[in-house]
Amino acid sequence: MNTLYLEIAVVVLGIILLMVESYSASANKARLAWIGAIGLFGVLLLSFIPQHAPAPGSPAAAFITSDLLSVFFVRLILAATIVFLLTVPSFFPALRISLPAEREGGGLGEFAILPIFVCAGLMWMVSAVDFIMIFVSLELATITLYILATYLRQNTASLESGTKFLILGALSTGFIVYGISWLFGTTGTTNLLALPSAIAALPEAAVTPLLFGIGMILVALSFKISAFPFQFWVPDVYQGAPTPVTSYLSVASKAAGFVVLIRLLGALWAIPAVSHQIHAVITLLAALTLIFGNFAAIPQTNMKRLLGYSSVAHAGYLLMAVASLSSKMAVPAIGFYFAGYLAMTMLSFVVLQVVSEATGGDEISRFNGLGRRSPLLAGAMLLAAASLAGIPFTAGFIGKLLVFEVALKQGHYGLVALGCVTVAAGFYYYFKVIRAMYWQQPAEETSIAVPGALRFLIAVLGAAIIAFGVYPAPILAALR
Amino acid sequence: MEHSLDPYASLLIHIVSGVGFALTTWVGSLLLGRVGRATGVKNVPYECGMLPEPGPQPRFSVKFYLVAMLFILFDIEIVFLYPWSVVYREYLQQYGVEILGVLATFTAILFAGYLYAIRKGALDWSK
Amino acid sequence: MSLLLILTIVLPLAASLLIMAGADPRRTSLVAAVVNLAFSLVLFFGYDRTAGGWQFLSEWKILPKLGINMTLGADGLTLVMILLATLVTVSALWVAPKVEKYNGLYHVSLLFISAGVIGAFASLDVLFLYSFHELALIPTFLMIGIWGTGDRQAAAWKATIYLGLGSFVLLIGLIALYISIPSGHRTLDLRELDQLATSGVLHPSALIYLLLLVGFGSLVSLFPLHSWAPGAYACAPPPAAMLHAGVLKKFGLYGLIRIALPLFPEAMHELNGLLLLLVVGNILYIGYVTVSQKRLDWTIGYSSVMHMGYIFLGLASLNMIGVSGAALLMFAHGLSVAAAFALCGEIRRRTGTLEYSELGGIARTAPVLALLFGFATMASLGLPGFANFAGEVLVFFGATAAGSVMVIPVIVAVWGVVISAIYMLRAYRNVFWGPVVQRWESVADIASGAKWAVILLLLPLMIAGFYPQFILKMAGTALPH
Repeated sequence: MNTLYLEIAVVVLGIILLMVESYSASANKARLAWIGAIGLFGVLLLSFIPQHAPAPGSPAAAFITSDLLSVFFVRLILAATIVFLLTVPSFFPALRISLPAEREGGGLGEFAILPIFVCAGLMWMVSAVDFIMIFVSLELATITLYILATYLRQNTASLESGTKFLILGALSTGFIVYGISWLFGTTGTTNLLALPSAIAALPEAAVTPLLFGIGMILVALSFKISAFPFQFWVPDVYQGAPTPVTSYLSVASKAAGFVVLIRLLGALWAIPAVSHQIHAVITLLAALTLIFGNFAAIPQTNMKRLLGYSSVAHAGYLLMAVASLSSKMAVPAIGFYFAGYLAMTMLSFVVLQVVSEATGGDEISRFNGLGRRSPLLAGAMLLAAASLAGIPFTAGFIGKLLVFEVALKQGHYGLVALGCVTVAAGFYYYFKVIRAMYWQQPAEETSIAVPGALRFLIAVLGAAIIAFGVYPAPILAALR
Repeated sequence: MEHSLDPYASLLIHIVSGVGFALTTWVGSLLLGRVGRATGVKNVPYECGMLPEPGPQPRFSVKFYLVAMLFILFDIEIVFLYPWSVVYREYLQQYGVEILGVLATFTAILFAGYLYAIRKGALDWSK
Repeated sequence: MSLLLILTIVLPLAASLLIMAGADPRRTSLVAAVVNLAFSLVLFFGYDRTAGGWQFLSEWKILPKLGINMTLGADGLTLVMILLATLVTVSALWVAPKVEKYNGLYHVSLLFISAGVIGAFASLDVLFLYSFHELALIPTFLMIGIWGTGDRQAAAWKATIYLGLGSFVLLIGLIALYISIPSGHRTLDLRELDQLATSGVLHPSALIYLLLLVGFGSLVSLFPLHSWAPGAYACAPPPAAMLHAGVLKKFGLYGLIRIALPLFPEAMHELNGLLLLLVVGNILYIGYVTVSQKRLDWTIGYSSVMHMGYIFLGLASLNMIGVSGAALLMFAHGLSVAAAFALCGEIRRRTGTLEYSELGGIARTAPVLALLFGFATMASLGLPGFANFAGEVLVFFGATAAGSVMVIPVIVAVWGVVISAIYMLRAYRNVFWGPVVQRWESVADIASGAKWAVILLLLPLMIAGFYPQFILKMAGTALPH
């Protein structure tokens, strides 16, 4: 089986569900989400059948690969999508308020189906080795995400979020296309595998336009992974978008962006003509992202914005590992970091979803006294925040440990020192949430009920955080 | 001919003739046309029929946008069929079934979208 | 037996799971703590002192490629610290009141702290040494923030930021140490690290030692990184203060003995002047600050900071006598400060205040409380008969033997004993003696439960005071000769 079939299975699943949604008389749209999740879980299981890359020379081989990196991230994206789909039915009440429909259940079904198409796009993106393929899959994913971000039609924040996302996303698309065309213009190829030899054969004079093209692509990717100074859309979009979408956006879409970055830099890393500048740019990007993400998170009072800035901050740590790409442990470190990041970020968004549903808002103050209103939710959030801050025995700690270790080995002492300071800042803002949950008085004493599916998710994600934190070897082995 | 015309020469000719035509008509009308008394109404590009600048917010049915968007979508997708039909003969020998399969898949996906649009009432004018 | 060592870590965690599942918090946690104490005694006396070295070993592979394994084991020093931890845990859970909010979480937090410190002491792998310590640190912050008194939030924040930053500097130091090992030998196992150091493979730079000193130092409230400690202890609920000041804080010293002493002999020599300067600051400056305190809890909090100076002095003497004195003093101080905080909590529960200006003459109606506090005071002063005395004397001997550099620190340290006599006796007089304040004419005496909890702490202190070999011989098995 090569990886192409997994994506095709996902697309077919999505189309079937779309047809079922529009032609069946049933108004029970939650069932679509369950079926979608089960179907994707089936695909996830299929992905464990040994994969092989398309045969060399076949048309697919020019576009798609199936190496350890792509298989790992395909699974990660499938897992993230399954989590998304499981949170969808309990988000329906909130959707109904902002989505006036002529028929009962109108517009709800698509919210469960569109993520499947995003999933397919991102899966292609992490397996792509050709810029054309990267671009097409990127568009499939982001255009669908635009719709999802603005799904709460009558909520101005959601509209604002969607509009900003659309405009800036289109801008970054422009950058990437422009960059690709410069790259193609100088080297004559859009294939990442052919890129190193094409660059090696370039005359001296062609290096500057080449660097310009690479720079444009890096700008576009910085948008996707929310690296400073292209992170400004993050807090606004995260705040306005429906909570499950925000969660998905900060995990799956960022992961795919990082994979493309790794593939691009992996092709360019060792080429003397460009490596020097690229190393410098990535190091600078990592430093600025770390500083901005962490320090801008400190004064936040809105939970979604806080998590938005925190996702910028985590991009900074990940960039630290990207800046150390010469080490063979760098890619496993990034993969592990993402596995942990998936569990802890999605767990905190699940909790946030329940809390904002129950209290009617996303501010941190809505978490006041959560420890008394729902020990389960508070405990889950405590675990997620501890992991995000990097406390031992959680996935976040091992992730940071691996990243710092890789960076130290490559001699990025400045970045590591900066990382220490920002981790301390992280302690501060994640503890703000914990403080609200346990130290403050609740506004009301009523307990908060948690839907069964979300209970299941909380248990699974929480267990994953601890399991990865205590026994990280299997995840790392998957990438080596 | 000793050497063929440089490929870019045709581009140059194209630019020159384009700019030249615009310039000629503009300068010609300046020289030949009789300039009467200019009023606001007279300077409007079209002096009869609809006003080119309508009121601030004319009402359109939102369905118009939907149909227009669907038209553009399907229109653009059909454009992709063109390159396929051009290369079809060349690749027929090597990838005969595959290349047909690719097109069939593409059309099937489009068709699914079409069915969806019909079912959701996007093409229903009366509603 | 190695299973028993694992059980001492697992038992508190299992008990906290039971509590989360709905078991009675107080009963469950106390049973677990008492059983744990029994385990630690069995381990303590089951250790083969003639064989020495690490015993009760067990190992799980975590990241074999990086040389990270979870290795548990114990030598004499470990067992002394585990004994201290289990003793203080029992006592802390015993005096823990039934709290109104989150009663279950209160006990769970205490059990987590206990499991964390025991795990930290029993870990042979540096990474897990660090990780278990963090596991204990988080519940401490929570406890100060949720159940503290006074300006609890500010105190908890300050402690969080100081200790969070400190432990991160420590982590960087440990990673840097790991990286500085020539590749091929990379390991985080204490035993292998020792071997590397003795065989001369390891040449870590003084900078790494400095990182470790700052990291461990801020955890132990080494001057000038101490300012989180008094406020945190004053605001913390008594059981949390007992466990943190008594046991968790010793982790930093334990780490320095385990990691810095064997691996950085040269760097410790080079930078000994700096350490001594800080020690003088710890004893003299903090001593005078303590004298000027106007509340009992702040006095005890500062005094616990000050006494760290003696232990650091023992480490800085870099010889067998001084370091074993430091080890004994760690044990002794842990018990005496826990007793002091327990009694402090009892007084506050009766009077609602700890201001010297408002208290006085309590001994008349609460003689047992006064007696016990008197014992705790004497122990912390270092009067003969208590382990603190033996420890301090050994530290002074060791320091004097270390050469002329130590003359001034030793003089300061001896003078420090006088300073601590001043503030402790003054505190004792102000609270228990003097004219009886009308408000406290009918203050109840200590309850029998709390009484036994404190006696549990004071008794080993006296045993070790009359027979210090009991601790020294055990701790000595871990120290380089």
